[in-house]
Amino acid sequence: MSYHSGVCNFCGTGCGHLLQVENGAVRGVFPSPGHPVSRGRLCVRGWHIHELMATEERIPRPLTRGAAGLEPVTWNAALDRAAAELGRFRPGEVGLWASPRASNEDVFTLVRLARGVLGTPHIDLLSDGWYSSTAGVLREGTDQPGALGFLTDVRSADFLLVVGTDLARQNPIVASELHFGARAGADLVTIGSRTTQLARLSRTHLRPAPGTKKMVLAALLKILLDEGLADPDFLAGRTPGAAALRRSLVEFDLAGAAKSSGLSVDALRDLAGRLAQAKRAMGFFSTGTTGLGRDTVALVYDLFLAAGKIGRPGCGVIPIVGISNLAGANDMGAAPDRLPGWRALPDPAAEAVLRSAWGGAANASAGGRVGDLLRVSGSPLKALVVMDHDEEIILQAEAIRRLDFVLYLGAFSNPFMDLAHVVLPTATYAETDGTYTNTDRRIQLNRRKIEPRFEARPAWRILTDLAGRLGGAWGYTAPADIFADIARLVPAYSGASYAGLGVNLGGLTWPVESAPLAGAGPRAVPLNEPIAAPAPADEAFPFRLMAGKSYYYWHQNNIMKKTFIPRREYNALLLLYPQGLVEIHPGDAARLGLRDKRPVKVVSARGSMTVQARVTTDVLPGMVYAPYFIGPMIEGFLKPEAGAVERGEDGVIPVRIEKV
Amino acid sequence: MYILPKSDLPMLLRTLADRYELFGPIVDPVSGETLFDRAASPEDLRLDAPIPVNTPKFTVFPHLERILSFRYDRDSKDLDIVRDDLVRPKALVGVRSCDLNGLLCFDRFFLGQEYVDEVYRDHRRKMLIVTNTCVRPFVQCFCVCTDSGPYAAEGYDVNLTDLGSAYLFETGSEKGAALAVELGLAAAGPADAAARDAAVNHSIGLFDGQAVENKAWISRAVNRLTTGFVKPETWEYIGRQCFECGACSFVCPSCSCFNIEDVATQAGPTDRLRTWDSCSFEGYARMAGEHNPRRPVEDRRNKRFFCKLSYSQSKKYLRPGCVGCGRCARVCPGDIGLPNVVTAIRRETTGSKP
Repeated sequence: MSYHSGVCNFCGTGCGHLLQVENGAVRGVFPSPGHPVSRGRLCVRGWHIHELMATEERIPRPLTRGAAGLEPVTWNAALDRAAAELGRFRPGEVGLWASPRASNEDVFTLVRLARGVLGTPHIDLLSDGWYSSTAGVLREGTDQPGALGFLTDVRSADFLLVVGTDLARQNPIVASELHFGARAGADLVTIGSRTTQLARLSRTHLRPAPGTKKMVLAALLKILLDEGLADPDFLAGRTPGAAALRRSLVEFDLAGAAKSSGLSVDALRDLAGRLAQAKRAMGFFSTGTTGLGRDTVALVYDLFLAAGKIGRPGCGVIPIVGISNLAGANDMGAAPDRLPGWRALPDPAAEAVLRSAWGGAANASAGGRVGDLLRVSGSPLKALVVMDHDEEIILQAEAIRRLDFVLYLGAFSNPFMDLAHVVLPTATYAETDGTYTNTDRRIQLNRRKIEPRFEARPAWRILTDLAGRLGGAWGYTAPADIFADIARLVPAYSGASYAGLGVNLGGLTWPVESAPLAGAGPRAVPLNEPIAAPAPADEAFPFRLMAGKSYYYWHQNNIMKKTFIPRREYNALLLLYPQGLVEIHPGDAARLGLRDKRPVKVVSARGSMTVQARVTTDVLPGMVYAPYFIGPMIEGFLKPEAGAVERGEDGVIPVRIEKV
Repeated sequence: MYILPKSDLPMLLRTLADRYELFGPIVDPVSGETLFDRAASPEDLRLDAPIPVNTPKFTVFPHLERILSFRYDRDSKDLDIVRDDLVRPKALVGVRSCDLNGLLCFDRFFLGQEYVDEVYRDHRRKMLIVTNTCVRPFVQCFCVCTDSGPYAAEGYDVNLTDLGSAYLFETGSEKGAALAVELGLAAAGPADAAARDAAVNHSIGLFDGQAVENKAWISRAVNRLTTGFVKPETWEYIGRQCFECGACSFVCPSCSCFNIEDVATQAGPTDRLRTWDSCSFEGYARMAGEHNPRRPVEDRRNKRFFCKLSYSQSKKYLRPGCVGCGRCARVCPGDIGLPNVVTAIRRETTGSKP
């Protein structure tokens, strides 16, 4: 056969696909009809993953930096140099960035290299920040750090709520499931300032003013509680934490919230009633750049808990993950304050756990986030190990350039190579076995389809060889060995094995050996901060800018630009808006004298960018929406506003618009 | 007309496997789904399996195909073109009539116009096609409405029809006739032809209970599309649901649009690659000077359905562009496969809600 079953490696939906292999090369792709989540569908990205697998823009062989720049060397020479350099540093002087697209096995071996061999706790993920806090909220409520429901239940739900995010652009097949659910009769509701495709397909689209989503959720929760619509256990305070949460909302001003958000109390009351009455209700929100802040996630969870929709069959909330293994990489402990299996640090027993699992000393202390450590003056970091930097723009490039040593592991050519002293070419997901954990906790085994191209090697093997040179004899000869270690150290994965994962499409959902939500709880999650209306627009910065999604633009596009058709589509968009674009309401455009495709200057308190205007009623008056960011937009505007962007959709940026 | 006892089917397949790469319906062991794919051995082919989820079009029009390689020296201006001769002889066995009609559309597109596509011609010349009368239509099928099944009328080398203990072996070309002689098959009689007609009629009868909302409306939809009677609101309703993934084109037996990319390889030469393309994409119809006649998604969607159902396209293909396989309905994230589009057009005229 030429078509071989596997799992798409773009977003966190984890769609099943069939990769077509001809003469040892990937030449085509087809959706896998029997896959429980994707059911024979792929999105525009998934339909073109074979183009990425066929790209010539690979790193063909190991490189080390010499006087004349990066030069090709043998694997032995490259590994020897990397080991010698890394061996020079004291524990805690090396930082590691794991990739959210890498397999569980690759991330796990990187974590083991960090804590078990290099003795450093400073490891985290590129492109995270949202998932770990989101999953942390769900864990606080239920002990389960991940989705509290199943995508396979969407079509039988009778109420579906999407909070924020352009789901049809971020995870199109999840959006498709919601569309099918609505066509089967479910009450599909979208809460979001911008009119998205899914909003157009919804029965109700509530458009709160930018930055007021948290208030809307709090208002819905208050209505459930005050009007006796909530679950009896929750109302009676029998749900742990319910009474305290209720107290924190006593002062909350419903009418004021409605006014700030621009929605009517009646509309909110109607929606709360529909949620309460639903028998099978599910909620969805993003964890990516359009994700929600910690308290907003807590409010989505608490709203569904109060409505009696957590832990009930066919119900639940699912955080939607934008990158294939972001969830799994978190489960593997690619975080400075956690060990594999979400064991929070500091923890006096942690070192014993690692010692018994790995048979030697390990650093089980809490470390710092690499990005934070690079930012501070007097950083403890002297070296950096980076896996798959898929993004085009490198934040903190100056700080990285000052480090003594940078090791880069990746499959595709990337600007990060310019910063590296040693570059090790890794196999793609099609060139080695590996497991990936999707947005609803599905651990899926993706089998090797072809031999690694050029001289690339699987990352797990490279890291095992590197550990061996640094004194760590791991004994891993295949990814299945690593997964066996994962299953020992990550309680939720216990009971899974390659043998078990390989027998059915869709793999296994964790916890593998027990029922979901079998832990204590669920309990209400308290809010960390008081709910306040966003600061009123001031004259200097009267608009609120939100960042979002575009089909052909995906994670700064280093990956999408290596395909043919998605790259053409992206370029077609850039031909219309070569400087990038922001969406603005026709009323605002008329008032400011702006016209479609004409340049405008977007100015915030910290940065500015000159882009083109797209005039559309998809955005509200007073709102500006940036669906993607290209180089100059990131350099001039996004980097200085990194703090606001890290708050996701809650972090709207006050800006003013100037006609150019 | 000959008789191929079922016990002799392995002999036919082995004979073909000696001369051709063998393609046909294969049941995937993990998913249980039928794929049309290359068989590692003749025993893997399952003529009794349900309709394959994919069409055989990749055998003549691969998803990504190197159509030539070249080296160009800028200084000397020497151009060294290497035409690949990677096209191996292929036998497609168990092709359904719908998919065969898709290939016939391809023939008219790639071979039947002013310029002949040489790579495609290579694939087709080195090919033997054994069709299989469809006795188990898929629930979304409507080939009976698009003049493409369940029985193949033309274009095959051999057509098989399951008569119980044997296949009726009909030949449609000299290659097919020679094969019958070589295999030493017994001639079939009028009773066998009657049994075939009964099998075909039985299969047609199976369509009565499916696609009831749109089946009888295909020809009316052809009329309304051709005469421009479909309201813009209907296209907007359809366009709103389009996720712009391209799947409908990619799974369609008669969609032949492609794009060309030149890729400099790390080994040195530049590869000219042909890749599937789709009218779903905004960049597909973009012209120089920023002009795009089909920018809004609904304009792109209606283009596709014009291509599949309008009379002007039928003139080009000498048949409707749609072959009634229903695959677009299986893969569409927006639930707007062709049957649902026909339903939407019908509801527009009957005034019922979409």
